[in-house]
Amino acid sequence: MKKYLVVLVVACLWLVGLVGAQTGEPIKIGAVFDLSGPTGDVGTPYAEGVIAYVNWVNENGGINGRPIELLSQDYKYDVATAENLYKQFVSQGVVVFMGWGTGDTLALVDKIAEDQIPFISASYSASLNDPQGSAPYNFLVATTYGDQMEIMIRHMAAKWVEAGNDLADMRIVVFHNDSPFGTDPVPQGQAYAEAAGIGGFLSIPQPRGATDFNAEIQKADDFGVTHIIVQNVSSGAALLARNVVDYFGSNEEIVFGCLNWCADELFVTRAGAAAEGTLGAIPFTPTTVEVEGQVIPREVLKAQGRTLEEASLHFTQGWAATAVMVEGIRRTLEAGLELTGPNIRATLEQMENFETGGLMAPVTFTPEDHRSTRALAIYRVENGIWVQDSELIDLRALETE
Amino acid sequence: MATQSGIYHQTYESDMQLRPTTAQRVRMVLVIAFVLVLPLLVSQNEVRIVNKVMIAAIGAIGLNILVGYTGQISLGQGAFLAVGAYGCGLLMVYFQVPWGLALMAGALITAVVGGLFGLPSLRLKGLYLAVATLAAQQIVEWIIIRWDPIDGTIDGKATDALRIPSNFLFGNSAWRLNDNEYAFYYFVFVVLAIVVIGSVNLFRTHYGRAFIAIRDQDIAAEVMGVNLFYYKVLAFAVSSFLVGLAGGLTTIHSTAISFERFTIDVSIAYLAMIIVGGLGSISGAIYGAIFIEILPEILRSIGQALVQNRLVSDQVFVTVLPFVQQGTFGLLIILMLIVEPEGIRKLWSNIKDYFRLWPFSY
Repeated sequence: MKKYLVVLVVACLWLVGLVGAQTGEPIKIGAVFDLSGPTGDVGTPYAEGVIAYVNWVNENGGINGRPIELLSQDYKYDVATAENLYKQFVSQGVVVFMGWGTGDTLALVDKIAEDQIPFISASYSASLNDPQGSAPYNFLVATTYGDQMEIMIRHMAAKWVEAGNDLADMRIVVFHNDSPFGTDPVPQGQAYAEAAGIGGFLSIPQPRGATDFNAEIQKADDFGVTHIIVQNVSSGAALLARNVVDYFGSNEEIVFGCLNWCADELFVTRAGAAAEGTLGAIPFTPTTVEVEGQVIPREVLKAQGRTLEEASLHFTQGWAATAVMVEGIRRTLEAGLELTGPNIRATLEQMENFETGGLMAPVTFTPEDHRSTRALAIYRVENGIWVQDSELIDLRALETE
Repeated sequence: MATQSGIYHQTYESDMQLRPTTAQRVRMVLVIAFVLVLPLLVSQNEVRIVNKVMIAAIGAIGLNILVGYTGQISLGQGAFLAVGAYGCGLLMVYFQVPWGLALMAGALITAVVGGLFGLPSLRLKGLYLAVATLAAQQIVEWIIIRWDPIDGTIDGKATDALRIPSNFLFGNSAWRLNDNEYAFYYFVFVVLAIVVIGSVNLFRTHYGRAFIAIRDQDIAAEVMGVNLFYYKVLAFAVSSFLVGLAGGLTTIHSTAISFERFTIDVSIAYLAMIIVGGLGSISGAIYGAIFIEILPEILRSIGQALVQNRLVSDQVFVTVLPFVQQGTFGLLIILMLIVEPEGIRKLWSNIKDYFRLWPFSY
């Protein structure tokens, strides 16, 4: 069914392309990417995904005949540069904006609200979800870090009980990046662990620039760790995974889990054998799990002589995030509304179960909740690739039950 | 002018003048005229970049007082900027202090903190002192990241970035400092002018001369009766005051601040500014700030022009261009230092000397 839908959409866009081959006034989208900064390793494929999606839409007739003009620059993960570029692009007439990091998105929140620019960032910090209050124009296109953590704990706990263990013996240690990004999911994880009756919960920051984490692992061991959850980028997580395996002697001792910024191909490459068995809370379907939504990105990349596996799941992430934003613009135009921030925001807020062909869970925004979804599936590293380990775990559904 | 073989002063007043020659006075008038006219010629975004340059110039002058004039190396610039920025911001957010007062208070707090971290300077020199100031950087960053109220809270939940209320110049709603770049431009220029005049004059007083004496030969200075401990800590305090001022200006210029603006990278960038511009020189600090802040913007706009005119592919834009830009930036800094190790200031005076001595330069 979904496949037909995608084919239908492509056919429609193609027809639109034939009729009104990009005659309209361009629609400007602003973006800041981290291509050469500290998160450049994952920022580059994300940027490629955003650019590829925009090019694909343009090659297929644009949005209702209007081409997209992407104004984008590398900002090196520098907050001040992001501010400059944001202001520059807004003054050049962008109607929506694709951001990147937690720091710069937070720094821009007030400006975004004031300029009324719908904003999708690659930061999934729950503090950005405040549509009625301080962040009316920020949309979270993926499961928040807190929800990722909670889903990961639910999944780990279920397996733990399944194996005949007692929840009171389960001891979770969260290793996190030493920054607001790192600490973001800790409170929600802790609250859930306590409510669920899990034996212990401890969070340990990973010092920046460390060459090993043995001291931190020692601390976790003293705590009696059974499960580790990492909220860090893949380099920090991979080093930790190697250290954990060295310390405990095998992958079997401790259940190791990563939230989305370390559960990727880079982690597997860097951690090598130590990655085996790692669980990943990934809102975007890994490239090694086939879904319909990957068909077009694969074709686009093939034309460039590349594969989706090479481009990595962060390519998919950029692609899907842009797809959501572009869909908001398209629906605004189709409703005959003027292309303004408030109109696009209102249209996005009516989006219900928008399908990206399985690239991510269906997207639903409401005026009260700018989190696209509270669901994700848990994946697991098996023979060096990510395979699906659970069905979609949906916190919205679980909480209404 | 050209026939004179020197500058003669016949009165004490003329001897004490800051700008004794006509050429200097003409230049000053030209500079002021340029500053007044500039915003009319460029876009709001370009004014924004100039504003950042002026804030950086104030911070660089502060650092140059410590490093260039007093010879005390500091890697804690980012931390002191943060103290000024958060000092100013927290006073506004939690105590509703008017912005002007908060700005000054932030700078004063930074002066105290700077003086405190300057205490080890009596016992430590050179690289050892650099490492001690590095500790300041780490400690301040750690406090900002870990202590939730510092980044502001909404309903008891940490927000990870301190939201700065809007501030208006002379209470005029059209002159919002974190939005109207023109208003901020004239304001920050006045601040910069006061800082420049104050700093230049500082080195005509016995305080400034003591700083320079400590830099040149601390033992000789002590023998001459310069109280090393007092003047070193004073240099830290004065320097930090200006750095804190720059931090506070950053706050007033922004809608939100977070620790990511004040990392060790910032400390190093400021050191680069004063080294490229010219150590131990006020104008050098300004040239350095211009160089380090504007060059990446120029490289970025070249990159943008290449992409928009389809001269490079998207693939090159994403994977190659950023590194070419960074590489070029680094190369230009190295080139600058090879051409003139004493900085842009020396380069400028070389050019002036060439014309002054022409055609008989030897």
